[in-house]
Amino acid sequence: MVNRPVTGIGSRITRRLFAGAGDHVAARNASAWLLPTGDERTNYQLRRDMRRYRDDDEVDAVIVGAGAGGGTLAQRLAHAGWRVVALDAGPFWDPDVDWVSDEAGSHHLYWNEPRVIDGINPVPLGSNNSGRGVGGSMVHYAGYAPRLHPSDFATYSRDGVGVDWPITYEQLRPFYRDLEEELPVAGEHWPWGEPHSYPHSPHPVSGDALLFQAGCHALGIPTKVGPVAITNGRFGNRPHCIYRGFCLQGCKVNAKASPLITHIPDALAHGAEIRADCMVSRIGFDERTGLATGVHYLHGGVEHFQAARLVAVAGYSIETPRLLLNSANRRFPDGLCNDHDQVGRYLMVQGAPQVAGRFSAEVRAYKAPPPSVSSEHYYETDPGRPYQRGFSLQTVAPLPITFAEHVLAEGHWGAPLREYMRDYIHWATFGALCEFLPQPDNRVTLDAQTDRHGLPVARFTFGECDNDRVMAETAIATMRDVLGAAGAGELMTIRRYAHLVGGARMAARPTDGVVDPDLRTFAIPNLYITDGSVLPTQGAANPALTIMALAARAAAHLVG
Amino acid sequence: MAVNRIPRGVNRTPGDRREKFPGYDVITQLPTWDVVTAGVVLRRLGPPPPIRYFTQDEEPIACALLDQILDQRHEPRVPVLQMIDARLAESQTDGWRYHDLPHDGQAWRDSLHALNDDARRAYGTDFGLLTWAKQGHIIAPIAGMNLHGTGDWHGMPAARVWSLWTRYATAAFYAHPWAWNEIGFGGPAYPRGYKNLGLDRREPWEVPDRDPDRDLVQLAREVEDARRHDTHYPHPPVIGLSRDPLHDEPEW
Repeated sequence: MVNRPVTGIGSRITRRLFAGAGDHVAARNASAWLLPTGDERTNYQLRRDMRRYRDDDEVDAVIVGAGAGGGTLAQRLAHAGWRVVALDAGPFWDPDVDWVSDEAGSHHLYWNEPRVIDGINPVPLGSNNSGRGVGGSMVHYAGYAPRLHPSDFATYSRDGVGVDWPITYEQLRPFYRDLEEELPVAGEHWPWGEPHSYPHSPHPVSGDALLFQAGCHALGIPTKVGPVAITNGRFGNRPHCIYRGFCLQGCKVNAKASPLITHIPDALAHGAEIRADCMVSRIGFDERTGLATGVHYLHGGVEHFQAARLVAVAGYSIETPRLLLNSANRRFPDGLCNDHDQVGRYLMVQGAPQVAGRFSAEVRAYKAPPPSVSSEHYYETDPGRPYQRGFSLQTVAPLPITFAEHVLAEGHWGAPLREYMRDYIHWATFGALCEFLPQPDNRVTLDAQTDRHGLPVARFTFGECDNDRVMAETAIATMRDVLGAAGAGELMTIRRYAHLVGGARMAARPTDGVVDPDLRTFAIPNLYITDGSVLPTQGAANPALTIMALAARAAAHLVG
Repeated sequence: MAVNRIPRGVNRTPGDRREKFPGYDVITQLPTWDVVTAGVVLRRLGPPPPIRYFTQDEEPIACALLDQILDQRHEPRVPVLQMIDARLAESQTDGWRYHDLPHDGQAWRDSLHALNDDARRAYGTDFGLLTWAKQGHIIAPIAGMNLHGTGDWHGMPAARVWSLWTRYATAAFYAHPWAWNEIGFGGPAYPRGYKNLGLDRREPWEVPDRDPDRDLVQLAREVEDARRHDTHYPHPPVIGLSRDPLHDEPEW
């Protein structure tokens, strides 16, 4: 359907840089070697020399969103010689000047455009789960990069809940391996799911992680250091982590992986254009051919149209469905690819309760990457428990503003709030990620409210089911036990959510989802969705690695 | 005088509390920070911008409410009111809103007026003019409704109003270096990083907690009981726990 273009500038660059180097990762993706070696974090020359396409150049692919899914896809396609433009609504970040070691000063990393939340359990958006700019939410994710388990691909067959994926773990495995090398991921040998090792050795652990290990050990719960997409040792021109603790505020060191440094540099070297500050408003569609024609986007208040032979949407679980719904036309009156009322449905968040425990010792959890040690001991369904599927446990180390939310959640305010906060350095905080189940009515629809471009904003409706609730309470009880076993005195519990996946799910049949196993939409043969929206279930794993692996797999299918 | 020296008389912590980390000043680490971060943090120590968002009527209500939430009873105060006003004036919100509340700015206005209505109904006086104890009595039921998750307050979900107020208040207060000094937080750490990870391990410039074994449960219970039952709230033991009896004069 899409002809393979002639390979050009990119392969010449790769040959020149790595002739004789013999490094298989660099040959596949040279991003880490294309970053500068000195005190700067950005290869300005590479950005200045970036190839630029005209709107009326019909490029091979236009990608909407340059985060985990879009950034990975852009690199893979450009590397194979495709002419690629990736649009992002936010900036093309420069870690040196755009990011700070500061919680409140990092507000601009999040998607702060208007959205409406409702349902039985409305899920706050913004800082916790929605990024903007090149690199996407991986700019401010903690850095945990676990795989899904093989069981995640067949939860319905095995456990009678959720839905089976139309692909198996084995089909994703080689892409997990590739991405773990490219990020790279650091951690101990992983005994859960399919046992596997990581390319970088485990990091030294923080004070709160020592307590996590001690508490779990006392209860017979195995723990492992990692897995985190944070360099432990030099990788290409990326330096070792310096343990500054501000992973969630954007890594100024270039140690924590995001597509900005792990995939975009190689994409640029192979002729991709990253067009920042461009808000895509609508997907173009030709009724005669039944194909997507490109994307309409707004830049500087002016509407443009980028023509392309293939369109890939990677705007994440809220904006991807919103864009499809906002792209309704005569052929698709209820939204693009929405013939079967699947767009926006089965949106998932993970239950992410956290429990903090108070220790006489000074913990000073802010000193190291918040993602340090984790356990997937309770990941799988246990027939002896009153719920299906499971949860993982992780260290989280909130900074002061975030920790204040823990104190507030216990009902404290005024003098007690201040006093608990003065005690900040004595607390260790652990988090759970609970596999909440996909439900059709947890979904994105269009609200009557419009944004400043006049586009209807997304309304995200969410409610927990009984299985979700019982699992989350069990996770809380487990974390309380772990903290108790580690010697904690007082405990504080906060109920919250993390991550977004689903909303345009992958399925075997058009009536059950929006995209096929290769992430091509059922309805439009040259329209793809390559982000977290396509996950049918979510497991109890942080989603970034899986999103990247799925995008890499879709790319492999496209380039043949 | 070296221009990079912080004058010795400059304040380090918000008013009134005996320091848990005596002499600790995160600003002394400023030479180790990257300049972009230093710029962002130092701006908070400069004069705050004038009030632009809150109206004259709303300002004293918001000021008193924020003092209550953060227990800021003495100068120098972290200028939380001005910090929040600046956020709202610049629409620097998280973007999302609950379907049953307006956007953050309007929700602030509506809720402040509702709070003043409560004060007038209970005491015949504007909220900002009430005594500290009476302000606490007005607020406590709203906080209580939050804790139990349900309840309508002037046509708004109490829990979400409480969340709005407290999120903005703590996000402003704990962004300020004085608050970092108060809680012993190490602050920005790029490009220096941290060397001494682990329990009871400090960097050479960090100051140990001089009071590591306080009973916060007891403190919280006393304050919260006082709010519920005692018109003398806040009574001496509450603030006394955090005051230095040798140097601070009680003001109740």
